[in-house]
Amino acid sequence: MSFTKTLRPWLGATLMAALMAMPFAAAEQAKADDKVVVGALRFTSHSAGFIAYEKGYFKEEGLDVEFKFFQAAQPIAVATAAGDVDFGIAGVTGGFMSLADKGAVRLVAGVLHEKAGVDGMMILASNKAYDDGLTSVDQLEGHSIAMTQVGSTFHYMTARIADHQDWTIDDVKLVPLQKVGAMIAALKSGQVDAMIMVPHIAKALVESGDAKMLGWLYDYAEYQISGLFTSVKNIEENRDMVERFVRAYARGIADFNRVMLAENPDAGEQEEMIKIIHNYVYQDRPFEKAAPPILAGSMNLNEGGAMDVTDIEKQMTWFQEQGLVTKDLTMDELVDTSFVETY
Amino acid sequence: MHSPDRTVQTPTGVAEPIPLRPVAKDVETRRVPFRGAGFSPKALWYVPPLVFLLLLAVWEAGSRFGLISPLVLPAPSEVLTAFRNLVESGMLYNHLAASLQRLVIGFVCGTILGTVVGVLIGLYSLARSAFRPLVAAIFPIPKIALLPLFIIWFGIGEGSKVATILFGSFFPMVIATYGGIDAVDRSLIRMGQSFNMSRAAIIRKIVLPSALPAILNGMRIAASISIILLVAAEMIGAEYGIGAYVLLAGNLMATDQLIAGVIVLSMLGLIVSWLISLAERHFLRWRN
Repeated sequence: MSFTKTLRPWLGATLMAALMAMPFAAAEQAKADDKVVVGALRFTSHSAGFIAYEKGYFKEEGLDVEFKFFQAAQPIAVATAAGDVDFGIAGVTGGFMSLADKGAVRLVAGVLHEKAGVDGMMILASNKAYDDGLTSVDQLEGHSIAMTQVGSTFHYMTARIADHQDWTIDDVKLVPLQKVGAMIAALKSGQVDAMIMVPHIAKALVESGDAKMLGWLYDYAEYQISGLFTSVKNIEENRDMVERFVRAYARGIADFNRVMLAENPDAGEQEEMIKIIHNYVYQDRPFEKAAPPILAGSMNLNEGGAMDVTDIEKQMTWFQEQGLVTKDLTMDELVDTSFVETY
Repeated sequence: MHSPDRTVQTPTGVAEPIPLRPVAKDVETRRVPFRGAGFSPKALWYVPPLVFLLLLAVWEAGSRFGLISPLVLPAPSEVLTAFRNLVESGMLYNHLAASLQRLVIGFVCGTILGTVVGVLIGLYSLARSAFRPLVAAIFPIPKIALLPLFIIWFGIGEGSKVATILFGSFFPMVIATYGGIDAVDRSLIRMGQSFNMSRAAIIRKIVLPSALPAILNGMRIAASISIILLVAAEMIGAEYGIGAYVLLAGNLMATDQLIAGVIVLSMLGLIVSWLISLAERHFLRWRN
């Protein structure tokens, strides 16, 4: 055994020498690239990053990107605050705002934004409630509405619908069920009257007859659902890297919007893009089964990563008024407007 | 030690018997310090609070001087403020009332059912053959994984919450009870039989009292599991409850409230454990 032990360093050294002597430019480039870890969910809404990666946009900006997959958005924000992850995408939620308040993370670009005419969040009624007369969004007042958690995007969306109508969020019974699976179970079994859901799940529920569609959220709120964030440390100490990342990410968004949201898409190009996304989303299904939900789940992404700060401020104020986020939080702590166009 | 045949190795290598008594009578008796005692640590009543206070002081100082970032851990004073808000707003009462109701109903039903099934398994071959594999199969299923199904089975009201706690306390009770009955001293049972005691009397006077310590111990575990499951139970549509409060604090990254809630849960555990100790002292006083 001691023979192997003494041999090992020599072997290593020889390998190193051989590697260093390799004349490939690629090897040298990889050394120069900035290592960037991106926290991601296996959601279609995260596709822009996957596209930018597969098409080499990150490489072109000299970034060596590695994806780390999570089950929920909030842990990505926590991991970013801890420095284990450089970038992530998260809904503008109460939890995210609290992390921003602690000076750990900041939004640098917009990602998911409701836009009239582009399938987005759908408002659904349970069959039971529908039969009992809940047939339009105007009648939601007084009904029970499922959401994941207090302070989640679903919570805020309901508030926006209430705002649009003549009632307040206190006029509905919000039922926190933690998981999307539990929300679906509660709606299917008629234990809640309504919920707001991402398009691919909502469409499937309507098609299978498990729920009824009441309307699209964009008719009530065209709002900034999620954004790209990074750690404050990255913004302060690695500004150049953040700029390059946002640039490459925006190219991914442009490709996604052009191909996936096109009215008359080029079938070949669209299939190619769905294949790219399928490498990350719905991997457990064959391509034929994965393509329809990927297509159905394609929502409008902010062109150029532009950020709707007007709306983000509105969200922040609402969360503060509800007592879910401390009043100390300011917009400067929540967003950094210097990387993308804001409106 | 008192064997007279003790031998010792001499430089010559020949084993010689050690003389039992000093040969010379005038040899001074060697004084030996007392080497007994020790190895029996006692609880010093003043140390635990001191350690606790010291820990708190270090924690607070670390937070004040910026050594511990608020992201990592909130300062104890912030936790205290969160706790005070909880009490002053009257929410602590609402949360505790909702949680205790679920806990008591779920735990009491689960414990009674579990004990009954455990006794059946411990006494009857048919019940043993039927239920034991079932218990072994269902116990390890994480109840949290079944939450969506629980919603459909038991609804989003109190039903699913109580059911989660009931299931959580049922299985450890079953296992503890039949384990306790299995461990009853068979010679005591044989003795009862030779005194011509009826089967019912043997069960009532020998089997159940002997199994009681194990059953009470099972209760202790079941109670802890119930409190653990409280957070899971209150994931489903709970407006009030300590578990719901802790979940909300976690979702909002309000770490001060999170710690305050966790402390309440831990207090709850301490109180339940103390109550069971009282029960043990009462029901097992025949042992002394």
